[in-house]
Amino acid sequence: MHELSLVQGLMEQVRQIARENNRERVTLVRVRIGPFSGVVTESFSFAFHALKTDDNLFSQSGLEIETPEPEFSCSGCGRRFDGSKIRDRARGHDFHFPFDWGRCPACGQEALHPEGGDEILLLQVELE
Amino acid sequence: MCEECGCQTGNNSDKKIVEVNRSLLEANQEIAHGNRQHIERLGAKAINIISSPGAGKTTLLEATAGVLSEEINFAVIEGDIETEKDADRIRARGIPAVQLTTGGACHLDASLVHKGIHQLEHVISEGGLDLLFIENVGNLVCPAAFDLGEHKRVVMVSVPEGSDKPAKYPRAFIGSDLFIISKTDLLPYFDFSVEEASKEARRLNPDIEIITLSAVTAQGMDHWIEYLWGMVGLRP
Repeated sequence: MHELSLVQGLMEQVRQIARENNRERVTLVRVRIGPFSGVVTESFSFAFHALKTDDNLFSQSGLEIETPEPEFSCSGCGRRFDGSKIRDRARGHDFHFPFDWGRCPACGQEALHPEGGDEILLLQVELE
Repeated sequence: MCEECGCQTGNNSDKKIVEVNRSLLEANQEIAHGNRQHIERLGAKAINIISSPGAGKTTLLEATAGVLSEEINFAVIEGDIETEKDADRIRARGIPAVQLTTGGACHLDASLVHKGIHQLEHVISEGGLDLLFIENVGNLVCPAAFDLGEHKRVVMVSVPEGSDKPAKYPRAFIGSDLFIISKTDLLPYFDFSVEEASKEARRLNPDIEIITLSAVTAQGMDHWIEYLWGMVGLRP
């Protein structure tokens, strides 16, 4: 995707927050990246660490990425499941989005679809 | 700096935690919201078309111009990394077009489209816009994350690309309203299953509409044209 530009946007938001709070160092940035957002968390993290080194505000900062469990709902029976249920159903096979879901664990129809999970959020900033 | 008296020695060593809970795409979303209102003030609706390079976005718009240009006032914002080539093709059909070149970026964003709308206002005639097509940069990945201020999002896959594209590029299908399978005149020559592509797209997004068409033979063009009439809320 465009992880580098997302991280640049993130740093701009955090810079603004640091300015508003009269702080000169960011020690931790916490983000949430939804499983269906299309963002590759490894690339996101790589971009953050690559960009922070030349930047006094960020050079000491850690990055915590929260990745919520994917959720699915069944358009056959209307029930909702989190990824762990679907994974159990697949008898321990690795979970791969999006076509290894198997059938709906409740009604057996092949009608599961992803629910939400496309968020890319700045959750929290720790400043010093 | 100390918040109480402004001195330099204040409580800088103390940690401060700020809860934010804001989307990284928030700035884009705000501009997109403004674009949508702007387009509506012009009396129009907008469609954002996303596909790989070469799926036939510009060809579809040329064919659409052939059918609709007498009946619906439309205009096109073309997104490409470089060149005016696509806008020139559209202008050759007598349709107002603005070319946005991203200079390397792999997707359009709302602020670029905002500029495009302003440029477009100079080239559309008085009261003359019902439908605005935004042809995104050819890419099935990144454009999917950026709301441009459109009313409908269309994702297009051409027959030579293969019917596994929804499975491989899920985000583009989850966020779209309409899935167009293009170049159906080539179905006899490629191993493309309309059924498989449709099934996978619906699995990702049960509400997605699907149209198969060929801009060359005009097969399915009637469904597309009907979809557009539905959007502008008029019928011939």
